[in-house]
Amino acid sequence: MPEGPGGRGESPADKARDDFFSEAQELLDGLSRDLLALDERSRRGESDPELINDVFRAVHTLKGLAGLFGAARMTALSHQLEDVLDDLRLGRIELTARVLDLLFQSVELYGLILSAEKGQAPEPSGEVESLLVALGELSSEHAGGGPGTLAHYDLDPSILGVLTEYEEHRLRTNIQSGLSLFRIRVQLSLATIDSALEDLKGKARPHGEIITYLPTGNGGETESIELEILIASQSTLEELRIPISGPNLTIEEVAKRAPTGRPSAAPLAVSPLRPQTPKVAAAPPAPSMLPSPPPAPPTSAGRGTLPPPPSVSMSPPRGAGGVPGGRDLSLRSVSQTVRVDIRKLDHLMNIVGELAIVRTALARTRERVRGNPALRELGIELHRLHRAFDRHLMQMQNGILEVRMVPLGQIFEKLARVVRQISREQDKQVNLVITGAETEIDKLIVEELSDPLMHMIRNAIDHGIESRDARVDVAKPPVGTIALNAFQKGNVVIIEVEDDGAGMKREVLMETAIRKNLITATEAEGLSPREIYNLVFLPGFTTREEATDLSGRGVGMDIVKTNIGKLGGVVDITSEPGIGTKIAVTLPITLAIISVLGVEVAGHSFAVPLASVEEAIVLDETLIRNFNGREAMTQRGVTLPVCRLAQLFGLADRPVGDLVSARKTKSCVVIAQVGDRRLGFIVDRLIGQQDIVIKPLGKSLSGVRGFAGATELGDQRVGLVLDVAALIEEVLASEKDLHLAYERRA
Amino acid sequence: MRQRLGTGMNRAAVRRAADIGKRVEYLAFSIAGELYAVKIAFVAEILKPLPITEVPRAPRNVVGVMSVRGRLVTVIDLRRRLRMPEAPIDAHTRILLTDIGQGEQIGLMVDRVNQVYRLAENEIEPADVLGGDQPAHIAGIGRPDRALLILLNLIPILTV
Amino acid sequence: MSRVLVVEDSASTRAFVRAVLEDEGFAGLVGDCEVVLATSGFDAMRLLPRGHYDLIITDINMADINGLELIHFIRKSDHHRATPLIIISTQNTERDIERGLALGANAYLPKPFTAEGLRELVLRYLGTKGNEAGPASESAAARGPVG
Repeated sequence: MPEGPGGRGESPADKARDDFFSEAQELLDGLSRDLLALDERSRRGESDPELINDVFRAVHTLKGLAGLFGAARMTALSHQLEDVLDDLRLGRIELTARVLDLLFQSVELYGLILSAEKGQAPEPSGEVESLLVALGELSSEHAGGGPGTLAHYDLDPSILGVLTEYEEHRLRTNIQSGLSLFRIRVQLSLATIDSALEDLKGKARPHGEIITYLPTGNGGETESIELEILIASQSTLEELRIPISGPNLTIEEVAKRAPTGRPSAAPLAVSPLRPQTPKVAAAPPAPSMLPSPPPAPPTSAGRGTLPPPPSVSMSPPRGAGGVPGGRDLSLRSVSQTVRVDIRKLDHLMNIVGELAIVRTALARTRERVRGNPALRELGIELHRLHRAFDRHLMQMQNGILEVRMVPLGQIFEKLARVVRQISREQDKQVNLVITGAETEIDKLIVEELSDPLMHMIRNAIDHGIESRDARVDVAKPPVGTIALNAFQKGNVVIIEVEDDGAGMKREVLMETAIRKNLITATEAEGLSPREIYNLVFLPGFTTREEATDLSGRGVGMDIVKTNIGKLGGVVDITSEPGIGTKIAVTLPITLAIISVLGVEVAGHSFAVPLASVEEAIVLDETLIRNFNGREAMTQRGVTLPVCRLAQLFGLADRPVGDLVSARKTKSCVVIAQVGDRRLGFIVDRLIGQQDIVIKPLGKSLSGVRGFAGATELGDQRVGLVLDVAALIEEVLASEKDLHLAYERRA
Repeated sequence: MRQRLGTGMNRAAVRRAADIGKRVEYLAFSIAGELYAVKIAFVAEILKPLPITEVPRAPRNVVGVMSVRGRLVTVIDLRRRLRMPEAPIDAHTRILLTDIGQGEQIGLMVDRVNQVYRLAENEIEPADVLGGDQPAHIAGIGRPDRALLILLNLIPILTV
Repeated sequence: MSRVLVVEDSASTRAFVRAVLEDEGFAGLVGDCEVVLATSGFDAMRLLPRGHYDLIITDINMADINGLELIHFIRKSDHHRATPLIIISTQNTERDIERGLALGANAYLPKPFTAEGLRELVLRYLGTKGNEAGPASESAAARGPVG
């Protein structure tokens, strides 16, 4: 419980604490991506030393930060991890499946530790201890590297003096594998150097490994700088000249020295390197990262061109295994992105909302001025200003909305880790295939999505995908597949979770629902196949007697459905026994700004999201039929159930000024539709369309059904926004038999 | 920080300051003529009533929602919560914006706000002095110099 | 008023160092510090010619141009050949630190450092003219108790 604002005398660590959490999270996200990519590469038998180095550096940085900010557990874990990663990158140990496992576990643990640091979760002490022990067993005893052969190359000794130990190791390794060394000299303007280098890296990487960048000090003017870039490659100089070219750029091969015996340049004073005994014969190759081929430069041909950052790369063909190439993602150019606190964006949105109110007032003023012929000039000016204001406001609104959009790939990676973890735990091999990770959606929605999606995937693995043997028995491939697809369709984003597991049997579902008293036997008979599959969303429904440790964590499918509903979305499920199950989640792209239809009910104003409104008509009371208190009417030849909002909300009996006169004017019916269900809301009158900024109601009101949020109406008044899907469900839920009765009658 | 403690008068001032450090500050307000109080650490702001929009089907104690600088705040009527008859909003009515660290600030509507009391440990009596089985929202009785305050626990009050 | 250039690619470490240097109490001892932050070696190279710095604090482990290359560059330049230069680094790369000192840094502060450790070291070099380029005279590890 807060005891009030922090006092003076905050330590530097306290002041920078938010930066710490933010940076640590970013590092973890990057780590996760890189590990997934490493996993994929290693399965293909490839190695990627740059990737390993990136992972090392991330852990290295985390260790430093943890120490600075007093996060002891994080320090301990980082320390141990660093040793293992150092051994890995210097070739002292191999990247086996066991090592990868431990690395993945470490990422999970980092996440838990970070939450504990933020005070959001308990300390994971036990897990940390056991992981530390496991990591400790990995570290090797041998000292590093083989005898050096750097003496063979005509490199300025001072260059070798500025290589870090790692860079030196990479240099040695490449040379020992028989690669040639090249020197790229390029002059770059300091102002644009970051992007220019990214460009150059992109051109160079497919052909070799960049060892280091060295400023030569021959820049001349202060605004530009000359760099010498050492690159090791299997190609020849001629081959390299084509892709690696540009203004102010030369490339040449680093000549090999003459063999011993001939007096050449001064002996290389390369302290503190080990003194070289120049030998012509090649030294035994340094231990390589993986059992098969010696470290090769990253694969080039056959991979296709790299997509531009920061979008995520495309998915591998189905069945190829693994998750999308995370390596491309780590072209996370630090200078290109900004990490933003979503609260700041909300604040900006609020201001946009207020400006929108000003714009409306401005329009009214313009009208008044227009009405006065004496102010003609002023009126024209005002009109012009209003238009400009409106235009810019729209642009700003759209701009902020775009900033809020993030690619779904963020949570998809987390899910990939979960799948990997679970499929190792159970005797089920599962392949996760992701498409559409670049599909963007509002950041707030993304954050709320990760739990429901995780639950669906756990369900799919636990209940859907059969064990290896069972699958082989029915002639399915032994490795199960879960497909995670995301795509945009008009105003919505659709996310599908599809598995090729056992599917669900309708009879079993119905029987369970009946047994748990969720529906009666008669009701069960009248259900369509789709309705039967959707029974799983009823509260209290689980097909396994003992919920397994995975999916029985207290989150049922009903909660998943409710949570998705709170985001303004709907979820649907279909299945085919023996073939598989598919869950489709439909979500609005952004929560923030929506178009609404204002309505008035018993003196209260409400807003109905236009996305759910089919049309609005004047009410003809004579068309309404009454069935045991439920009402419906025929509209365009079909049945339309109706609902009087005043009654539903219990507003009818409040004394309102013109309730009497309201009877005299015609009411309206707002016909709402969600999915294939329709309901007509009877309201007193329509107010008009507008775009509003929708804000969530507090947690304290989460129990109140029927409202998606509220919006500011100007003058600090608040209008409630209806949750159409929830209301339709509520009103129509118990209406099935009456509905059917009406159909037969009509 | 680098203060010079010189004369006896300064010393006394320092000692009194140290004493005050041990007291807890409570904000007192009235409901139907009775004085109540809550720890001021939990009161983020005191507002004059803004337009409050009723929320249909909300729990009884909720008056509605209001917009505070662009944020939606749920407002609870303390009179209703304490099972007292309702009274109209008047010039003295205030809304206490309370924050108990649950990620949401909740408004508490009271008749009028009085003053802040610094209660020492010996000025607070535990709730069971009124007899056993007191409701959860009563934290105790505060007895500063000339007043009697009913001290309230906010969590049971703010849980709708 | 002293001007300090901090070259570090970690945002929170930058924030921490700045908090230390801009602390009220510290300012009482060394006078006001103007802290200039560089996020990378290149960033530092852009900033260095543009002003005068009384102290440079740099990390070793940075992407692209690593700290060693930066130190080499600084000691070769006319402008800041003699400016006091502190390396902040971790102990895992002791070789790198030795190289840094060999290239002309004045001192190194292993990470994780404490606020006190940093303060002490900065105090020592602000207001002095620093060494001529050459081997370091101190490799003092001004380390506080590691948390």
